[in-house]
Amino acid sequence: MSEARLFKPRFNPAKPAFGILVFLLYLFLLAPLLIVFVVSFASNQYLSFPPEGLTLKWYELLPAESTFMNGMKVSLIVAIAVTFIVLVLGVPAALALDRFDFKAKAAVQSFFLSPLLIPSIVLALGMVLLFGPLELNNTYAGIIIGHVAITIPFVIRTTLMSLATTDTSCEAAARILGADSWTVFRRITLPIIQPGVIAGGVIAFIVSFDEAVISLFVAESGLPTLPVQVLRYVENSADAAVAALSVILILISLAVVVIVERVMGLRKAVS
Amino acid sequence: MTETKLSIKDLTKRYAAGLEPAVDRLNMEVEEGHLVALLGPSGCGKTTTLRMVAGLMDPTAGSIMVDGKEITHTPVNKRGMGMVFQSYALFPHMNVEQNVAFGLQMRQTPKSEQKKRVAAALDMVQLGHLGKRQTKELSGGQQQRIALARALVVEPTLLLLDEPLSNLDAKLRETMRSEIRSIQQRTRATTLFVTHDQDEALDMADRIAVMNGGLIEQFGSPTEVYERPRTHFVANFIGQANFLTARVGADTGAAPVGERYYKIDVDGFGQFGAVGVPGLTGSTHELVIRPHRLNVSLHPGVVGPESIAGTIERVSYTGDALAVAVRVGEKSLQAQLLTSSGDLPRAGETAYLSWVAEDAYLLPAPAKGLPE
Ligand SMILES: Nc1ncnc2c1ncn2[C@@H]1O[C@H](COP(=O)(O)OP(=O)(O)OP(=O)(O)O)[C@@H](O)[C@H]1O
Ligand SMILES: [Mg+2]
Repeated sequence: MSEARLFKPRFNPAKPAFGILVFLLYLFLLAPLLIVFVVSFASNQYLSFPPEGLTLKWYELLPAESTFMNGMKVSLIVAIAVTFIVLVLGVPAALALDRFDFKAKAAVQSFFLSPLLIPSIVLALGMVLLFGPLELNNTYAGIIIGHVAITIPFVIRTTLMSLATTDTSCEAAARILGADSWTVFRRITLPIIQPGVIAGGVIAFIVSFDEAVISLFVAESGLPTLPVQVLRYVENSADAAVAALSVILILISLAVVVIVERVMGLRKAVS
Repeated sequence: MTETKLSIKDLTKRYAAGLEPAVDRLNMEVEEGHLVALLGPSGCGKTTTLRMVAGLMDPTAGSIMVDGKEITHTPVNKRGMGMVFQSYALFPHMNVEQNVAFGLQMRQTPKSEQKKRVAAALDMVQLGHLGKRQTKELSGGQQQRIALARALVVEPTLLLLDEPLSNLDAKLRETMRSEIRSIQQRTRATTLFVTHDQDEALDMADRIAVMNGGLIEQFGSPTEVYERPRTHFVANFIGQANFLTARVGADTGAAPVGERYYKIDVDGFGQFGAVGVPGLTGSTHELVIRPHRLNVSLHPGVVGPESIAGTIERVSYTGDALAVAVRVGEKSLQAQLLTSSGDLPRAGETAYLSWVAEDAYLLPAPAKGLPE
């Protein structure tokens, strides 16, 4: 019997202290969400805390608020298009970066990752100036190009991470067994890197759906997205409808994550 | 009559201009149904050669023919070959059956036939009961067999194996060695097998291509490369060998398979006998003698009329055999004896070495850096 076991474990004050710290951190992160959640059911005339009573009227108001509904439509169209385009561009780009050695590789890599490092306000300003002569301001194309630029680094990153752990001889084996390049990509490469691709797609969707700065600069007047509409609404009126809307947005984001997790989790369980 | 299945002519691969070629004008003919081992030290170009035959890599020059048809520039997916990789390269997102069926799907084999052939291939590697398993739930040896089944199920024109046993532990390697060989012989699949393990090559192959620095030093049956090495490198790489320098004297008559017996003079130790190709008289050649063919005695005159005296440096006893290192002048010669219950030689004693002419082989090329 070891000596340590002869003694009773002494009370360690670090343990509960750590627990409290974690709790406070979570509270700090989630408090705004909780407040928004509570306020969305508050009957206060103006956006304020604490609630004076409970009501569902802000939620009932939402469908009639055409600015929100239009913004939602624009944002959804943009986010879906961005997700699609960014995957079509980002996955092959990541493949090329991973599989080929070329002279400009380092340059290409930093080019694709640079939007992460540039403040989005600078990026947005540049885009407005560039899109002017191209007549892309206030068009879907303009917003989508802007969002693709800021989301492609995520897709490339997550895909590269998946690629780093794959065995290239799987692809060679498939080719020898008679698969052409497209079949190899579809049947071998893509399924293997699927987790990274899906993660990148989800992040791209959420980032685009949530993006305000570029959308504001590029298409405020012509094609306001939902975040832009929310900003406008808060500028003019101060009721809790935005809180109700925020709750809906949180639920949409959550739903996307949960659905993807479920689908992938199910896949893993089945295959 | 045997048919030539694979014929490689002047195959060359240079990875970049200015670099030494990784494979340098390599020539080889492989008979239908044979298992050929590409054997050589690390970096000698084995994998490069195999990948060019598979079509995974374009040769810089030369040609590859299968069944008399040139395939040098045929795309990899149109060559109909099967390959087993060192890492097995099983598809991680498919189960065992799906892995094995992949090549058949690519060939659009009817579903019912696919089923039959996959089952037959899995039975062949004795894993018929694991069809529904995920590949990551298999042991190394099982993955290896699945990889083999996946390559063989398509009845490949050539079966290519790149060090398929190197990831297995010693015991399993032995088992898989004989299993692969027996499957290969049953299916009569013409096979190229890359290895750097000479035992593996000697045990499994019909022919061995001994490679060194991008070249084939010798292409022959296991007994040929062991008994009649063409170069110092081959003699040294395959099995253990003692090298002595011999001045070749008179041709003393015909030996089997067109060779001749010679009288030779070994470094001033006296006159001995040896065999070699015709026409060596008068020049200096390296003499190769395998350790277990050196006769060792503690008394002069027992091992033959002429012998070389030396001092025993080291004796290592392994039960069945006794390895003896004997210092003779500058050289240390290795000898191997079967033990008997009698007296064993000990370090420090004088030993007398000799051999019979048949067991001493003169390399055909004159020894380099020595007076002719
Ligand atoms: N992609 C590459 N680019 C440049 N040189 C290479 C490349 N692949 C291999 N080489 C070189 O070509 C030579 C032959 O390599 P190869 O892989 O064919 O050797 P190998 O006989 O299979 O060795 P091993 O037993 O270590 O697998 C080596 O000198 C190696 O450094
Ligand atoms: Mg190799």
